[in-house]
Amino acid sequence: MEGIQREESKALSQLYDRYNGILKALVLRVIHNEAEADDLLQEIFMEIWNQAKNFSAQRGKPLGWMVTLARRRAIDGLRKKQAYARAEERLQHETEQQPDAWIHNSTEEEILDGDRRVLIRRVIGMLPPAQEQAIELAFFRGMSQREIAAKTNTPLGTVKTRLELGLKKIYDGLKELRDEL
Amino acid sequence: MSFEEFQNRARLFVVGALDPDEMAEFENARHEFGEKAEAFIAECYSLSEAFALSLKPAKASDQIKARLMEMVKNRQAH
Repeated sequence: MEGIQREESKALSQLYDRYNGILKALVLRVIHNEAEADDLLQEIFMEIWNQAKNFSAQRGKPLGWMVTLARRRAIDGLRKKQAYARAEERLQHETEQQPDAWIHNSTEEEILDGDRRVLIRRVIGMLPPAQEQAIELAFFRGMSQREIAAKTNTPLGTVKTRLELGLKKIYDGLKELRDEL
Repeated sequence: MSFEEFQNRARLFVVGALDPDEMAEFENARHEFGEKAEAFIAECYSLSEAFALSLKPAKASDQIKARLMEMVKNRQAH
């Protein structure tokens, strides 16, 4: 990140090689369209290049900053391109076929890998389904608490509690895993 | 707002789930708790990192990197 802040294009190339797969997966999870995800990914890395001066290591790790930026761009992209309805339809279809795709889609090979993805999924997988759903809708769909309440026919206060409890459990679980990750 | 309440709000904030009408109160508490608040928020970014890392990495089109580096090169030339 320091190299990018010094405007060294080689540093951006290395950052891209290291993180493009993670950021593409995140964008794809939001937007559900391969070509649009690729276009957004290019815009995201360009924004990383342009905004790198605003990154401060004191405020967190580079990945957290990039994920926040990528998520915001992906959700903006989803809304701007008015693909929301189409994505919703696709997501609904996927959800019907694979109800817990976010957490439980690891293959046998991935589980054997014992990598950090599996460990993180284990932490997330310990949440009650209602908490998991609330977090999924907030993070990957960019829904507000009110939108989640409306979509799930749940009182707003309950949605807030689910989000708070679910996030605290994941946060605490990640802290326990810190040495393994 | 107690620090425990602030921690709950901070976790919502980093994953983009803090409602706009809660934002002003959150920002006030953030200012009030100062460095302690900033340190906690920085830690909370482990949540958004984890959500991204929980996904199976996707392969971007080979053309994307080439286009990106070309754009950067052009920008540096001007």
